[in-house]
Amino acid sequence: MTVQMIFLAFFGGAAVWFGVVVFRTHSMVRSALALLFSQTAIGAMFLVMQAEFLGVLQIMMMATEMSVMAIFMVMFMMDPGGMGKMDMTHQKRLSLWAGGIGLLAALLLVWLPDWGPVALSVPGAHEQAADLGRELLGRSMFIFQSAGLTILTAMIAATMVAIVPNAEQRK
Amino acid sequence: MSILVVLLSLAAGAYALAVIERWAVHGHLSLTGPAWAALALMGRESLLARKSDRLFFELGPVLLLVAGLMAVAVIPLAPGLIITDLATGALFLNAALAYVLVALIMAGWGPNGAYAMIAGWRFLGQFIAYAMLIVMPITAVAMRAESLSTVEIVASQAQLWNVLYQPMGFVLFVVAAMGLAWLPPLDLPDATGELAGGVEAEYTGVRLAVLRLARMVIILALAGATVTFYLGGWLGPWLPAWAWSAIKILAVAAAMLSVGRYMPRIREARYLALSWKLGISLALANIFVVGVIALVVPI
Amino acid sequence: MTIAGAREGAMYGIRRAVAAAMARDLTAFVLPGPSVARSMGIDLANAHLRIVGTPRHANVLIIAGPLDVGLRDAAAVAYAQMPRPRTILALGAGDIAPLPDADVSAPLTQAGLHSGLADLRRVVAAGAFRANTGEFTAAALEVRVEYTCPMHPEIVRDAPGDCPKCGMTLVPRETASDGHGGHGGHDMPREDRPNPADHAHAGHAHDAGGSGAYTCPMHPEVISDASGKCPKCGMNLAKAEEVESHGHGHGHGHASHAPSAHGDHAGHDDKAGGSGAYSCPMHPEVISDAPGKCPKCGMNLVKAEEVESHGPGHGHGHGGHGGHGKQQDHSGHDGHAGHGGHSKATIDGIEPHFMSMVELTEGQPRSSDGLQMDWIEVPFGPFFPGLPAGLRLTLTLDGDTVAASEVRSLVGRAELVDGPPMAVVDFVERLAAMMPLSPVAYRILACASIEEAARVDPGQNARRGRAAAGERERIVSHLGWLAEFGTQSGFLWLAARAGALQLAVRDADIDGIAAQALAIRRLIRRVEAAPLMRMRLGRIARIGKDTPASGPVDRARGGGSDARTGDPTLKDLGFEMRVRNGGDALARLRLRCDEIAQSLDLIAAAGMIAVPQVPDVDRVSGEGEARIETPRGTASLRVKLANGKVVEADLDTPTDVNIALVETVTAQQELGDALSAVASLDLSPWEVRG
Repeated sequence: MTVQMIFLAFFGGAAVWFGVVVFRTHSMVRSALALLFSQTAIGAMFLVMQAEFLGVLQIMMMATEMSVMAIFMVMFMMDPGGMGKMDMTHQKRLSLWAGGIGLLAALLLVWLPDWGPVALSVPGAHEQAADLGRELLGRSMFIFQSAGLTILTAMIAATMVAIVPNAEQRK
Repeated sequence: MSILVVLLSLAAGAYALAVIERWAVHGHLSLTGPAWAALALMGRESLLARKSDRLFFELGPVLLLVAGLMAVAVIPLAPGLIITDLATGALFLNAALAYVLVALIMAGWGPNGAYAMIAGWRFLGQFIAYAMLIVMPITAVAMRAESLSTVEIVASQAQLWNVLYQPMGFVLFVVAAMGLAWLPPLDLPDATGELAGGVEAEYTGVRLAVLRLARMVIILALAGATVTFYLGGWLGPWLPAWAWSAIKILAVAAAMLSVGRYMPRIREARYLALSWKLGISLALANIFVVGVIALVVPI
Repeated sequence: MTIAGAREGAMYGIRRAVAAAMARDLTAFVLPGPSVARSMGIDLANAHLRIVGTPRHANVLIIAGPLDVGLRDAAAVAYAQMPRPRTILALGAGDIAPLPDADVSAPLTQAGLHSGLADLRRVVAAGAFRANTGEFTAAALEVRVEYTCPMHPEIVRDAPGDCPKCGMTLVPRETASDGHGGHGGHDMPREDRPNPADHAHAGHAHDAGGSGAYTCPMHPEVISDASGKCPKCGMNLAKAEEVESHGHGHGHGHASHAPSAHGDHAGHDDKAGGSGAYSCPMHPEVISDAPGKCPKCGMNLVKAEEVESHGPGHGHGHGGHGGHGKQQDHSGHDGHAGHGGHSKATIDGIEPHFMSMVELTEGQPRSSDGLQMDWIEVPFGPFFPGLPAGLRLTLTLDGDTVAASEVRSLVGRAELVDGPPMAVVDFVERLAAMMPLSPVAYRILACASIEEAARVDPGQNARRGRAAAGERERIVSHLGWLAEFGTQSGFLWLAARAGALQLAVRDADIDGIAAQALAIRRLIRRVEAAPLMRMRLGRIARIGKDTPASGPVDRARGGGSDARTGDPTLKDLGFEMRVRNGGDALARLRLRCDEIAQSLDLIAAAGMIAVPQVPDVDRVSGEGEARIETPRGTASLRVKLANGKVVEADLDTPTDVNIALVETVTAQQELGDALSAVASLDLSPWEVRG
């Protein structure tokens, strides 16, 4: 139990530290990859908490997603290498408020609800994967399917938006 | 104990692959060549490019090696001879290999060279194309085995190897694996005639040695994955289990390394178009067909 | 025994083993290129070497044949990029300065290569490490700062000052001292390029030592030795060390847009819209009653009213559209920043055009894929694997699409007769030596034109032998092209096989060619049937019928001309012009294969091969012209003889024509396709007028 707690704290700390690095660096690529490693650390936390499938999935998905984000950041930002030391912050007051409220909400969510007793025994990894599958294709099927459809729609819409200027150019 | 055995066989396998690669690229077969080459690389200067992103430049090859080793960890060489038999082994393999991409982006961005940078982003550009073609065939494999554990996937092929059960998935997986290990004719990130070495172009000395070793480990991991998922892993008559694993993995790796010698490199745009339009449709069809067979004919 | 490029360190213990390993594992970077070495009869595949495509991975620099003066600086850069311990093996190279003296020199023959390599292995094993090593310096490696006008890139000066055209202050930029660092050819007019500052890429000169100590945070191309203000935006220059070590050359393009971009999301501070004050385009929270500099970044403050007046309809003071400030800086820079967002509705809490890609890139031309990306200028060559050696191709890349290209031969030919009248023998030898890729064809051309001028008839037999020699050269050249194509496209079996056959045919007599004919025909069949070949080359580098072109490039578009059609000797041998349809790289590959097969037939029909002897012209005077079909296309030579000496000569080569196609075939192509396209033209940089 204590070893588990130590590892959990370690990966939690790593996730937070990488999260801070995201905003401390001037390089877009470093920023994106710091976010990736922050998310990987969260995946490792899942693994420590014996949620094997979720942990592995998190580690896998984030590698791809954050890399794709990195290329967009490089494409769209001036000074992607961070050489110019440009100050890319803006709307500071709004950000402070949003961040503060978000933190408060998170803390409330941690402390207020009754999370129930700590699970002392966790089902085996095989069983977890099977349970997760039943959940996804049972009670939560509608939620996940509609979420998936929404994301697909958003992707197609985003692509459409992205190619419109090109069509205008040709006129 | 089994960790040590796996690591030793990994080292032997990586060396064997280096011999094969040398033949495939330079045309001469030499058993001692890679050893001399490795020793010579150790003695060369390890240059750092001007204005480089030092952290990424140093970490890229190391992360690549770590990703390869992680992937190897879930590949069974014989019953009980596996570093860790995860319940989510097949997914874990995929997760580890996703970091190949991250490592190449780092290695491409790090040295501040145009060739390397284009190579790194090129690899990312192709990534979704082959990442889907790795995940979706694995899905079909796991459907048959009713498990993500690599050991159980091998066991599920006792009656009939997956290469016969789902040949379409096998072809897609091998092609995608070659893309992931940037093997010719899919070697877009280090294309000699286009980018003069690409991601490898700025690495010298020890760092280059690590990069080359990491690539060999990744090729081995992918060959191991192909054998595990489609060629019945350690299964086979007469010979002991480990021998079958070794023979199959080396044969697959040798085939993957040498096929590119006999054809020109694919064009990037065509590769993307084929992966997206043809590959993903075929992979979906494969899942569907395997699902139907699994329900109708239980083998 | 030590080597000039030894690595620092004492030679003891494990280092001896390492040095021995290095001696066994020689990896070579070949100058001017493996293809040139092959056409000189050097078989590198048969020397227990590994040929690599980048000097970074090599430990020996092999120089095959005399190194052209134009290539020497580039050779020095390549040498500087090699990690120590590094060595030079010169095969009949002569003077190679500014490179250090060769560690081993040998004659330019296969035997010379083998003995040179044996010597080199001994030298490396004994002297790879040395206690004190010197630095390698060369003029080509020094970075110097030159000054150019942001609006008129053709203005390049050595000293700061004002632009003579528009009066703007010239801005400094870093460049290799001889124009090698990726900025070569300032002579090319570039007015049509939209944002010239974008192209100021820091180049690729790695070993090139330190740069100016101060740089502008916004315009990294601005380098200065002293602190001060940036000439582009007036910001305080920052110490280069301060700038993070992972700064990237490829970030530059956007940097020049930064003022306008930042201005777009600058002015949301309510105070900014207030009294008639001055504000910083970058930091809208900086407000001052008097003009001056921003305390944060040192930029000139801009008048707030001026800004405010452009931003009506935003409700609350979304004033600071710094884009206008930029417009003033760059007066005359049409379009671009003049769009302060009046036309578009704003959303509360989000500044108009927040992070808008459209804004950032407005006014720049788009590449074929419609995506707007940073432009970088990347040099390819003169030693790039798979491209003709000696050719410097500079591609301006928009992402990985070629936005602009510039091609230049570093080994262009000089005047044939420069100075006193030349003896006929010397003239023929000089022309043949000038064209290392097809010496026999140019020897035939020289002899034929002199015979015309002197009205000498070589006789029917000589004509037949000569025609066959020309056809043999065509086979050799086309096989060499196939080998290069194999190298470039990673079709390594083809590279090895075609290279070996090229060497086998190069000096073969009629029986030797007959012995290889079967193998060559088999190779051709395999090339045409190779998987992915159609995908690789089909529809690449299409050339229309109206564009001038020569040789196989011309005949691969369903027509074209061939100087051999009018030759009665070849007609007797059964020559018919081969043609392919399509006009793309695939058609060119197939046509070259067809021509190899045809040349084999012609040689067999001729029954003899004879390289022409220099005609004995005694002391005649006269003028004559000859045209022959070299492997790359039609070449013609007009000579004027006076008293048996050549006084005037005028040469037209196929590459003079075909090199102009590079821009057409690379425009808006993906990088890999563009390089295949250039290779498909089979250019010989030596044929270009220097």
